[in-house]
Amino acid sequence: MLIEIMDVIISGLINGSVYALMAVGLTLIYGVSKAFNFAYGSFYSMGGYIAFLLFGVAYFKNYLVVFCLAAPVLLVFGFFIEKLLVAPLRKRDDWEIKVMMITLGLALFLDNSYQVVFGARMKSLPSILEGAFEVGDFILSYQDVVIFVLSIGGILLFRWFLNNTRTGMSVRAVAQNPAGAQIVGIPKEFVFAATFAISTVMVGMGGILLAQKYFVTPGGGWNILIKAWVITAFGGMGSIKGGLYAAFIVGMLEAFVGWQFGMNWTLIALFAVLLTTLAIRPQGLMGKWG
Amino acid sequence: MEHKRIAKLLAVIWSIVAVLPLFFGSTNFIMHILIMCLIWSVVASCWDLIMGFAGIFSFGQVAFFVIGAYASAIITAKFGIPPIFAVFLAGVIAAGIGILVGLPCLKLKGAYIALVTFAVHMILEPVLKGGIGRAIGTGGSRGILTIQPMNIFGYTFTSSEPVPYFYLMLFVAVICSGIILAVIKSHWGTAFLALKDAEEFASCLGVSAFKYKLMVFALTSFLTGVIGGFYAHYVGMLSTRMLGIDLFVTLMVILVIGGVGKFPGAIIGAFITIAINEMLSPLGSFRPITLGAMVVILVLLLPDGIVGMFEKIFLKKKKVRSLN
Repeated sequence: MLIEIMDVIISGLINGSVYALMAVGLTLIYGVSKAFNFAYGSFYSMGGYIAFLLFGVAYFKNYLVVFCLAAPVLLVFGFFIEKLLVAPLRKRDDWEIKVMMITLGLALFLDNSYQVVFGARMKSLPSILEGAFEVGDFILSYQDVVIFVLSIGGILLFRWFLNNTRTGMSVRAVAQNPAGAQIVGIPKEFVFAATFAISTVMVGMGGILLAQKYFVTPGGGWNILIKAWVITAFGGMGSIKGGLYAAFIVGMLEAFVGWQFGMNWTLIALFAVLLTTLAIRPQGLMGKWG
Repeated sequence: MEHKRIAKLLAVIWSIVAVLPLFFGSTNFIMHILIMCLIWSVVASCWDLIMGFAGIFSFGQVAFFVIGAYASAIITAKFGIPPIFAVFLAGVIAAGIGILVGLPCLKLKGAYIALVTFAVHMILEPVLKGGIGRAIGTGGSRGILTIQPMNIFGYTFTSSEPVPYFYLMLFVAVICSGIILAVIKSHWGTAFLALKDAEEFASCLGVSAFKYKLMVFALTSFLTGVIGGFYAHYVGMLSTRMLGIDLFVTLMVILVIGGVGKFPGAIIGAFITIAINEMLSPLGSFRPITLGAMVVILVLLLPDGIVGMFEKIFLKKKKVRSLN
């Protein structure tokens, strides 16, 4: 019993950490540019497929190489998607709904392209580190530890970026006051594209990390989009701290509900908690209106 | 667009649609597609009413459609109520659920509403497949395989003879579009627009956001539920596959092509989209890719849809004339 509870808590922590990485990415785009990205889940799958492709090439059998190659690809991809698809819509009055539509179309396009290119069968990635700690009946695989450390590291790196680099500071400035930021000479358009690109990298990295545990499938991103979205709304849209707390709460909730009632109930429980939270605090745990 | 012009456009569209069976009446396949066009045109118009006019990002329209379809099928099977009444009961049930969904949305804004309504869509599948659903009679993951066909006063509509059902659906679609037009034209429509454009100002002037937002939820989910019931009795079987992303995106393409907030646009969009969808079916697995690419390109090139494009051309001409 105790061992089981320990297992559940650990799986909640690990899933929570990866969800945090991905939810922070989603909340970042929303916080900075008020755009909602429906193709976020497809970018998650894209991370997994890029890693799968790189592992197919003989020389790259190393995760470090994969991360170093996948990150720039995702960064450039995200940047151009924003410049080509989202930026032209910004001038319109009803651009919010148009952005939702265009990213939904993009998601459909990407998901089905994966299916045509890679086939509908699920792809697996090699484990990042083999082996496990074993203390009696209690087993903690190194893989889980590495996933946890890397996602938390990613979030910390991102925090450092926001607080200590020029681009990061301009991202924060635009999030706080777009007009004011423009007056002091911050290139708003570039910041929008940059945040989109960074969030693409974050979710793609999350995709590579989780793909070792849960496989890569063409439509697998939807589940992730829904979870990242729930976490973002739960923690407060645009609030990175709220997103962090919410991610771990959701990870734990999911693990415990899945353990006690079965996986079918996790989504229902998730939405029940979300709706109750939103009924009491419409802005989420730590969000602000605006 | 002016209401008179919408009414004229509607009359033209529906009278063109009404004569289509003269050409295609003998081909069951095409008649089936036309019936589907009518059904989706109503669903898309309702979505347009709530999203385009009232400015509420409701993503639960497919869920209300499925709720209506299941409700009508279960009511006829369990209580022996004739389908023509069951369809309206299904609409009432969908409207009830719509109001329940609308209540938490009253306090929320933008993307939050999209999430809550989409949550209804996502939850529906596990609920229908799980223990609760099986207890009501949804048949779990197998779905409902036999649904009584629609009959009115002893006349039974069968799917092997689609022309009578086509006219029934046309009748329903005309009434639904009439209702939507009446709503847009009335005090309600103005209130929706006011709440969309400036909620605080509108409520200061005494426009009750509570009342009108719940009203639009109730009305659109009622109409969608009714049309869902008609769909169930026409197709004769239901499963949760409808809740997949395919149908959702098809509806979205309809709105993109027709134009968001350009009312009869959704109806034109439905006919064009379903026709394109059928024409693309030889492409097999490339069909959804093309559909996705189409959404992206259309949103960029035709942001106001076909109706918006014609409006622009028409208005430009008018300006030139007045200059002369």
